[in-house]
Amino acid sequence: MPLTSTARLAVDDAFARRQGAGRRLAEDSELISRACRDMAARFHRGGKLIVFGSGGAGTDASHIAVEFMHPVIVGKRALPSIALSNDVSTVTGVGARNGLAEAFAHQVRHWAGPGDMALGVSPDGRCATVLRGLEQAHELGLFTLALVGGDGGPIAGSAAVDHVLVAGSADPAVVKEIHVTAYHVLWELVHVFHAQYAVHGEPAPAGVHEGAGASGPARPEADR
Amino acid sequence: MGRAEEAPSPEGIRRLYPFLHGGHVPVEVDGSTAVKVAEIVALRERVAELYADRLAECAEAMAGAFAAGGRLFTFGNGGSSTDAQQVATTFLNPWYGRPLPALSLTSDVAVVTALSNDAGFEVVFARQLAALGRAGDIAFGLSTSGGSGNLVQALEEASRRDMLTVGLAGHLGGRFAELRERGVLDFLFVIPSSSVHRIQEAQTTAYHVLWELTQHALGP
Repeated sequence: MPLTSTARLAVDDAFARRQGAGRRLAEDSELISRACRDMAARFHRGGKLIVFGSGGAGTDASHIAVEFMHPVIVGKRALPSIALSNDVSTVTGVGARNGLAEAFAHQVRHWAGPGDMALGVSPDGRCATVLRGLEQAHELGLFTLALVGGDGGPIAGSAAVDHVLVAGSADPAVVKEIHVTAYHVLWELVHVFHAQYAVHGEPAPAGVHEGAGASGPARPEADR
Repeated sequence: MGRAEEAPSPEGIRRLYPFLHGGHVPVEVDGSTAVKVAEIVALRERVAELYADRLAECAEAMAGAFAAGGRLFTFGNGGSSTDAQQVATTFLNPWYGRPLPALSLTSDVAVVTALSNDAGFEVVFARQLAALGRAGDIAFGLSTSGGSGNLVQALEEASRRDMLTVGLAGHLGGRFAELRERGVLDFLFVIPSSSVHRIQEAQTTAYHVLWELTQHALGP
């Protein structure tokens, strides 16, 4: 099939549009490291990671959960994580009864302990369901992290969010691509810290949000 | 998903992350983010060099299939199943442009577990395509290794049914490369990396670009 010249130009344009925002993720290195250190400490004490997003961001939630539950790198241990958006019955059930914005908050309320972690994904930072989930998590004492994009929206401005990573693009497709790299790095660094805590114990938390403590006794983690 | 990467040795970890024996979060860990970012930025550039023409051709073929009434079926395992779901929802419920019929074959857990239990995991996607697919539809398989048996069977089934077949793989392409040689795959995009993570990230760009170009080809 002969290519139209505009199609070929559109490919070049599409790739070019990604690179600036892709590079800017490196500027958030320190933020990512700090979040990972806090998360590793919580995993070390038996906390679990609860992830949620709407629409395409729900697929990121699933990806993050499977990344922790079944690491692709041989020798990394499984760490407990669930994606709330996978439970379609509960999401649509709560949504139909109390409004969609309450779906993740409901699941957090009944699944989370104070030693857990909540990670919300919203490409424009404006998803009310994700924001409510993070607010509920914060109220219960969870560590909260948000992956957003654009101008960060109300989620980036929320006092309920401990750490927020804003992908530097207004294009939701590009934001997602940056998020995928961000959570791959996040997973890797959590393991770096976690492995170290397992051997040497936790260092004194400096500026770490760990006031609430763990939800219960640390449970044994399966070795892979 | 392949398990292509080895865990670094304790010594390797010490070299990469020497701060771990100290207190504060350290530049070395921050540096590791910068390394990954540089890798994916370079890999995307490489994918654009290798595949710009083929991506445009593939999108035009997909647009043609949709225009003639075709539907899109996507599939993958593990992390790639989340990409399959993302592809389906991007086409069906797009940020802008035309909604197009698309379905991820992992979204029905009852069908997936029934087929896996009764007929075997190898046919979990092929059987669904046999039931749902028809000539002129599009089969879209995502794998980081290109070696997943259930994807190979699904693409063979799709090809027998005269569907347009598109594959995304990584590294050297695995069994997908053979499928391309045998003409089972109409389009194959192999991300040249040995990192499962970087492959997935570049595949995300590849399918977003395919979606964008499909919209472009179909017009407003």
